[in-house]
Amino acid sequence: MLINAFEKAYPKIHVTLQSAPTDTDTYRASMITTISGGSSSPDVYMGDVIWPAQFGHSGLAVPLSKYLPSSYWSTFAPGLVQGATYNGQVYGAPFFEDQGFLYYRKDLLAKEHLSVPTTWEQLEADAIKIKDAGLTKYGFVWQGDSYEGLTCDFMEYLGSAGGTVLNSSLTKATIDSPAGLQAATFMRSLITSGASPAAVTTFQEGNAMSAFAEGQAAFLRNWDYAWSYSQTKASPSKVVGDVGVAPLPSFPGQPSPGTSNIGGWNLYINPHSKNIAADVTFIKWMTSPAAQTILATQFSEIPTVESVRTSAAVIAKNPVLATVPKTRLIPRPAQTPQYAKVSQAIYTNINSMLSGAVSPSAALSAASSQINSAVSSSGL
Amino acid sequence: MSTPPVTPVPGGRVDVLARSAQPRGRRRNDVFRRQQARLGWGLSAPALIVVGAVTIFPICYAVAMSVTNVTATGNGFSLSGFTGSNYSIMFHAAEWRYALFFTVFYTVVTVAVELLLGTAIALVLERLSAGRGWMMALLLIPWSMITVINAELWYYIYNPVYGILDNIFSHIGLGTPVILGTRVPAITALMVADIWKTTPFVAIIVLAGLVMIPRDYYEAAEVDGASGWRIFWRITFPQLRPTIALAVLFRVLQAFGLFDLPFVLTSGGPGYSTQSLAILAYDAMFRDLDFGPGAAVAVSTAFLVVLGCVLFVKVFRAQAGTEA
Repeated sequence: MLINAFEKAYPKIHVTLQSAPTDTDTYRASMITTISGGSSSPDVYMGDVIWPAQFGHSGLAVPLSKYLPSSYWSTFAPGLVQGATYNGQVYGAPFFEDQGFLYYRKDLLAKEHLSVPTTWEQLEADAIKIKDAGLTKYGFVWQGDSYEGLTCDFMEYLGSAGGTVLNSSLTKATIDSPAGLQAATFMRSLITSGASPAAVTTFQEGNAMSAFAEGQAAFLRNWDYAWSYSQTKASPSKVVGDVGVAPLPSFPGQPSPGTSNIGGWNLYINPHSKNIAADVTFIKWMTSPAAQTILATQFSEIPTVESVRTSAAVIAKNPVLATVPKTRLIPRPAQTPQYAKVSQAIYTNINSMLSGAVSPSAALSAASSQINSAVSSSGL
Repeated sequence: MSTPPVTPVPGGRVDVLARSAQPRGRRRNDVFRRQQARLGWGLSAPALIVVGAVTIFPICYAVAMSVTNVTATGNGFSLSGFTGSNYSIMFHAAEWRYALFFTVFYTVVTVAVELLLGTAIALVLERLSAGRGWMMALLLIPWSMITVINAELWYYIYNPVYGILDNIFSHIGLGTPVILGTRVPAITALMVADIWKTTPFVAIIVLAGLVMIPRDYYEAAEVDGASGWRIFWRITFPQLRPTIALAVLFRVLQAFGLFDLPFVLTSGGPGYSTQSLAILAYDAMFRDLDFGPGAAVAVSTAFLVVLGCVLFVKVFRAQAGTEA
């Protein structure tokens, strides 16, 4: 639909849509081999928000800031362009954004006379209360498996506690801090207190989502798609009409709401493309208010352009889009080309910690030393 | 009364790598052979070139990558300078040492269990007169299944939300086990999935070996009054050794490259506990873009598995030799 509209606006440019693997890691592997193999197709590709440093570093994407003026970049919501920048060059044009939200069961909160939790501790207590009342099988479900999604979830607790993963020059790990310990200890306590099931250490989005949509959980941390998934009768959802959405909670004494991890997809240009001028035109159009409005109102994706994010038509579309302007965003430490290893150091150690194999402090010190060896490029 | 010794088996040894018998009419035979060989090479050259291009070239390229500084650029890989740093990074990484230990442990356990079960199944199948064809067809279903699909099916069993095991456990009041999220159960779960899929392969190879054992040996043993157990250890097992060796070789080669099951079921977790060498190499190359160290892991894995197989064949031959 977007492509048809684009071709109508620019009849001389013909766009062919190629499908890609849904698994982001598989997709990245195939893009890396395609581009470094010298293929000129695809000209423009969609890529995860965590790719710019790695792809820019290896010359797998064209620095777009060479072709687009700063007035263009200032149309985006704050933080998004910075996230797509590596070494002073912008490599990806933010296409649609995604972030973590707290989904809750309105009917169950009402039954137990609870308000929407604004602190993590309150969420934990409410989850236990609803579970113990026998209303659901699980309290709070999220993504605890050993994969990228756990890094996203961890970043939210860490950001809420006021911590960071790397120092500002990206040369040293700062994860092993009091804030890191607070985040990790709390995540483990969700499992030991019974607020979250022990099996959450194997949950990716799919498991958490299906548990929530089946009516088995009171709270869910998930991306924006969870709204439409839990509200359409076409998907096997038993909670249509009972779901509310809110910004993520925070820790007491820290700014509220808690931080939501930035996800989403950028548009990149293949350095072998033979039509860079047309590629730039296409990217500009896809990130124009017109296209972004279509994306938001018809596909319920979170737009990246600030004026569209705050427009009344978009906010009226659904509660998720209405919640977006209230949230506080936190990026993953993807400014380093070694991000993939940094993330792995986080999710493997936090995952072991969640399963009870190691203590929170041991997990953080292991993650810290692995991150240090990753950013100094000396580890496997 | 003591049981009389079982008649020794004449010419019972078949080498794994069959050697040709000595030719009789040597000279003429040699010329003919050389002609035949030349024709053979000529005819298979096109196929060999293709095989070379898709196997030998990548292998050599991987070896080259493992000893140079590799960077991925927009214009393909750039290999520069000879270096040992890829291997040094690998040897110093705790992840590699653990992956090596895990892969070896996994291979030894799964191959041993598959061998035991496979041989037992083959012995039963051999005795089965009616329905053997059907049983074999049934047995072949797991084996013929694509590994990834096998992994996905097991995921339905192990899944903590809608999994079958979870359901059974909670129905009989044993709570909900965290199968894939705890170390020992996760490793066991992978092994069970592997054993389920590949035991039929071992069974069918062993069965092929069983049916080739001449009936006279058994008849002779029965005439001599040997017990079933004794017949198995003195006739069946020695006769089966080459077949079993073959099955072990195939299985070790395959198990050592363990990738699909952890990729689908655990993504290497919890922590690093199910990270095999192949997963480690894949992650290093395609996730971290560390092509040099990734190639070092891949090459050293290949080297280890070849070394293991050569040693195995050697030991097997030496043992067979001392018994003959």
